[in-house]
Amino acid sequence: MQMNHFKALALGVSLSVLCSSPALAEETSKSTLYGDMLSVTQDMLDHAAGDANNFLHTNGNYDQTRYYPARQINRDNVHRLERAWTFKTEIVESLETTPIVVNGVMYVTTSFNHVYAIDAKTGKMIWHYKHKMGPVTTYCCGPNNRGVFPYGDMLYMGTLDAKLVALNAKTGKMVWETKIADPDLGYSETMAPTVVDGKVLIGTNGGEYGIRGFVKAYSTDTGRLLWTFHTIPENSVGVWATHDATGKDMLRDIKAEKAMLRKKGDPYRTLGGGVWQNMAVDRSSGIVYFVVGNPSPDLYGAIRPGDNLYTNSLVAVDLDTGKYRCHFQYIAHDVWDLDAVSPPILTMVRDKTGRKGKHKKVKGVLHGGKTGYVYVHRADDCSLIRYSEPMVSQENRWVLPTKEGARMLPGANGGVEWSPMAIDPNLHLTYAINLHQPMTYHVEETPYPGGKLWLGGAFKVIASEQQWGNITAVDYNTGKIRWKVKTEQPMIGGILATGGGLVFTGEGNGMFRAYDSASGQLMWQDKADAGVNAPPASYNVGGEQYIVVGAGGNVQLNYKRGNEIIAYKLKRS
Amino acid sequence: MRRCFALCALCALLFAATTVAADEYASVRDKLATCVPCHGDKGASKIPLNPILAGQHLHYTYTQLKDFKSGFRKNAIMQPMAQLLEKEDMLLIARYFSEQKWPKGSSVADARQTATGQKVVTGGQCIQCHLGQFEGASGVPRVAGQHPAYIEKTLFDFKNKVRTNSPAKNSLIKTFSDDDIKAVSAYITALSP
Repeated sequence: MQMNHFKALALGVSLSVLCSSPALAEETSKSTLYGDMLSVTQDMLDHAAGDANNFLHTNGNYDQTRYYPARQINRDNVHRLERAWTFKTEIVESLETTPIVVNGVMYVTTSFNHVYAIDAKTGKMIWHYKHKMGPVTTYCCGPNNRGVFPYGDMLYMGTLDAKLVALNAKTGKMVWETKIADPDLGYSETMAPTVVDGKVLIGTNGGEYGIRGFVKAYSTDTGRLLWTFHTIPENSVGVWATHDATGKDMLRDIKAEKAMLRKKGDPYRTLGGGVWQNMAVDRSSGIVYFVVGNPSPDLYGAIRPGDNLYTNSLVAVDLDTGKYRCHFQYIAHDVWDLDAVSPPILTMVRDKTGRKGKHKKVKGVLHGGKTGYVYVHRADDCSLIRYSEPMVSQENRWVLPTKEGARMLPGANGGVEWSPMAIDPNLHLTYAINLHQPMTYHVEETPYPGGKLWLGGAFKVIASEQQWGNITAVDYNTGKIRWKVKTEQPMIGGILATGGGLVFTGEGNGMFRAYDSASGQLMWQDKADAGVNAPPASYNVGGEQYIVVGAGGNVQLNYKRGNEIIAYKLKRS
Repeated sequence: MRRCFALCALCALLFAATTVAADEYASVRDKLATCVPCHGDKGASKIPLNPILAGQHLHYTYTQLKDFKSGFRKNAIMQPMAQLLEKEDMLLIARYFSEQKWPKGSSVADARQTATGQKVVTGGQCIQCHLGQFEGASGVPRVAGQHPAYIEKTLFDFKNKVRTNSPAKNSLIKTFSDDDIKAVSAYITALSP
């Protein structure tokens, strides 16, 4: 079905290229299957997976596949890819934005919540919005922003001072803003919202500050709060799980935890559980899937007895009401900050082996864990179907943090960080970018410090040990690693798969590379002046496909900062 | 003559209005004056053990004043002074200092201090909060260009739990050796964002 829509859109593009008459061009650009293409309709958003002109969602579509269907740039010609234009933003700081493209207009954000509208064909600025930041912002890991969401004639963005703002997409003027939470208590926003059926869905940062996490839905027209799902229920104790999702013992002292629970009660008020990456939306069932971050404080678990639900979990809620549907917790009572962050992906997957060794296809949810495993779930009840082979080294895993520091791999930045994965549904492969970063985990008894950084210890990178990264392709139907490419530095940013049989991803050293999605063979590369640590996107203007990515480096891994948005297209032969 | 008088009166009124609007710190002027002996004119301290406040982030200075008042941060001089401040005073004072220009620093780090300092702050992931040039943001202080002696004392105070109002620092800095602290202090204060 989606391919039919794609063909229809591609035909529309071809017609607009072929028809030089202004009248005909007007007719083709105004009359498409999905609206006038100037205003983003729900229908356009629903069919984004087959839309080879626009890039409407941070992760490509509501399923968050980051699979872009266009194949003009492909394995055979990617060697001819060259820079079409470079746009410099005003802010030289970490860039984590996914460029959003609507009918030839690109929207990007920068650190500190600047937004730019850019002509996607020429790279010329159309407008520039600077958020008037409040005096109080509380965040760790950089003043990042991951982008806007377009809906109707508006753009929506979360801000570091914990607000949701709505901008007029044509002018960049603010239409309304609303306060999401109190930044003095550690709440902030870096994720792009997800908008669907008149609702703006947004979570919160703050897992390092003792917040109580949530996902909220606001009305698109006025910013009225429609519902709140608390990611930390008032009973956060759970089932006293002793083993993680892969069956490994987490060495919990359940007896001591139960004694602490009797003494102090449920710790839900300051238990963390941020949601700071986009949610997947199953349009057929009306269910929203997201992953919940770490408990607070990160390393000192004694003060927060129980499983700390729903931290480190995949959670599903009802889109209309925010009511709980199901969850799966990867690590109960985490004391390593190996939370669930990378956005979940919806796709059809092979279920567990049934009777007579037969497999059924079911709607599945994929998540790339900070543990370095890809987890595959059933969408209907969140249960785990399988987990992959580990993509990164697992050394001393679940050693308990000590005062002196205990070495463990993965390090606290994880085997996969916030970086979104991509899939190629034809190859049933998911692509993740990985980190190998040995760390020591230190614990220290620390009472709640009232909205200040609350780690309950420290994570330290072991400077004398080598670090590196990987790009890994995992068959989500078997859990086997199909291919893996090693990179010289730990990877952070994101990845894009395309119908041209390619995956694109960038590195901290400025390299931006394309690989054969089936084999991992390096096909093309370019070097930027700063770290390429943002998720790439793709779009089509005037019959030409572009690949676009931000090169602004990264605070978390201290990769060289910059301020460039770089667009590539094929050199004419 | 009458026209001239009227014009002058109008100018005087306009000037007065401008003056009133400009002095949004009128309610804390007397309190700001008490800062000068230790923190210098407009917060540009020249005393090595007293921090520069000029150009420091509003949220950070406000939080420190709040912590002095509550006793979360202990200091024999600052605690009694903070007792006299209401929340609005603290916010105004913090804003006043944040709007002043950070004085040009002159400290330098040698090659050994730079190498050690870089290694230690990388291991401690300090940049995640203080940002690449240690310019800080909002509740995280600027330390680039701060007096090295003050930063060194602060780091030792965190290590030895003399200062406890930022517990994550206690946990991290206690893993630093004394030599590491000296090198880090020299390195990060010599940076110029």
